[in-house]
Amino acid sequence: MANLPLDVQNALKRQAPKALRRAFEKEMNKKFKKLKNELIKDFLTDSVTLEILEGPGATNISGSLGGISNLFAFIGFDAGHQPISPILQLLEDTQITYKQEIRNKGIGIEFEVSLPTAQAIFAITPLPWAAGRSWAEGIERGLSGLGYLLRKNKGNSGAAIQSRVNKVRSGKFQNRPYISALIKKYKKRFEDLK
Amino acid sequence: MIEQFQHKLTSSFFLWFDNFLLKKGEAYSNKTGELFNYADPRLDSRYVAYGSPYKQWVTDSSISGAVIPTGVSVVGSATSGRNDGVVFDFENGRALFSGSDTSMTVTGEFAVKDFSVYLTNDTEDDLIVENKYTINSRLPSGPLTYIEPYDDVVPAIFLSVSQAENSPFALGGMQETKIQAKAVILAEDTYQLDGVMSIFMDSVNEVIAAIPMSGYPITELGDLKGGDFNYTGLAQDYQGENKFCVSKVKTSKLTDRTRNVLANELYVGFVDFDIEQYRYRFQ
Repeated sequence: MANLPLDVQNALKRQAPKALRRAFEKEMNKKFKKLKNELIKDFLTDSVTLEILEGPGATNISGSLGGISNLFAFIGFDAGHQPISPILQLLEDTQITYKQEIRNKGIGIEFEVSLPTAQAIFAITPLPWAAGRSWAEGIERGLSGLGYLLRKNKGNSGAAIQSRVNKVRSGKFQNRPYISALIKKYKKRFEDLK
Repeated sequence: MIEQFQHKLTSSFFLWFDNFLLKKGEAYSNKTGELFNYADPRLDSRYVAYGSPYKQWVTDSSISGAVIPTGVSVVGSATSGRNDGVVFDFENGRALFSGSDTSMTVTGEFAVKDFSVYLTNDTEDDLIVENKYTINSRLPSGPLTYIEPYDDVVPAIFLSVSQAENSPFALGGMQETKIQAKAVILAEDTYQLDGVMSIFMDSVNEVIAAIPMSGYPITELGDLKGGDFNYTGLAQDYQGENKFCVSKVKTSKLTDRTRNVLANELYVGFVDFDIEQYRYRFQ
């Protein structure tokens, strides 16, 4: 563009964003949808997500409990609880919107993506026994076996259950990257969309 | 092994937490009363123990209004202090007398913490579900007597440093060290619990003085090194040390529905701290 006369350059800067907006939006929406689908797929195929989705009968495919019990029971969710749904909903709500025309640094249009932050996800994933703490954050930072123990205490405490409780408690929870890593990865990828 | 970063962090965090709670919450009460003799097989045979009904006396003279004992009264003799061979075991709430006289009548005045503060490696489930506690008797129903030494008592707060992580921060090798510490609160009622949680919710952006273990003010018998401890003064002594910053605090309570499952009547809360320090490794 540097070889064009100045008045042509200025005219291009002024008119191109408006003229190209529809085409840019179409192109960006296509790329955005593809990336959003990848994000959701990445989340839904994470071993922690899969294990929790499996419910109380799951096996510890994430390896976070050394193969003993499963995260759904360890965290202390009640049967029928769907802890993944709110996160999925928040990710589904990710939108792309037109923000502004770009004139100074090249020619184009700037879009804004409403990707949720890890903190926003932690805020909607309370532990069943302590609402101020997030189980999703706990996957990353560490979780105690309190939820499991409290749920078992609520039911009967026969020898079989007690021995199972001791088994689970002796197997230490191993924290691992989860939501923060996912959001960080896709934030970068959304920022790189062109 | 010489002192490492984690050691310094633990002692600094513990001293800061105790001081912050006592100062911001005035979480103590002054008591006057008799100290009762009892046998303690774990105690050095040079001493006899006279215990109060309360554990964890306040040690910190920077807490205004708190009575820090320097002597006890013995009927038939003058007040006895450290110069008379008395050792104050603040942790176990007792005075240790040199000699073997077990028939003295001893009274004292001291401030008792509303919450005993402990460092622990126990898991939350052990602390909340498994462990049994004696109540640090505030409303004794029977005749007053001493409280057994050594065991943890409630109301209490258990502190632990759970994780730490370094990430590169600046050219030259400076690291951003992020530490996760937590407090498990066992309270007798919701007023106490809400009070502690509120105090520490507001501790965000507080700066914690880095106090090495050599600055820890308590002796192996539970008395004060040099007979006095003032947290504010001690923190000033280490003013030049690289400080810690409380960058994030999150508080939460065990839900009432869940609490009903517990065998004890305690109210349980959690405070999760993120603490940061910018430092070079091995410093």
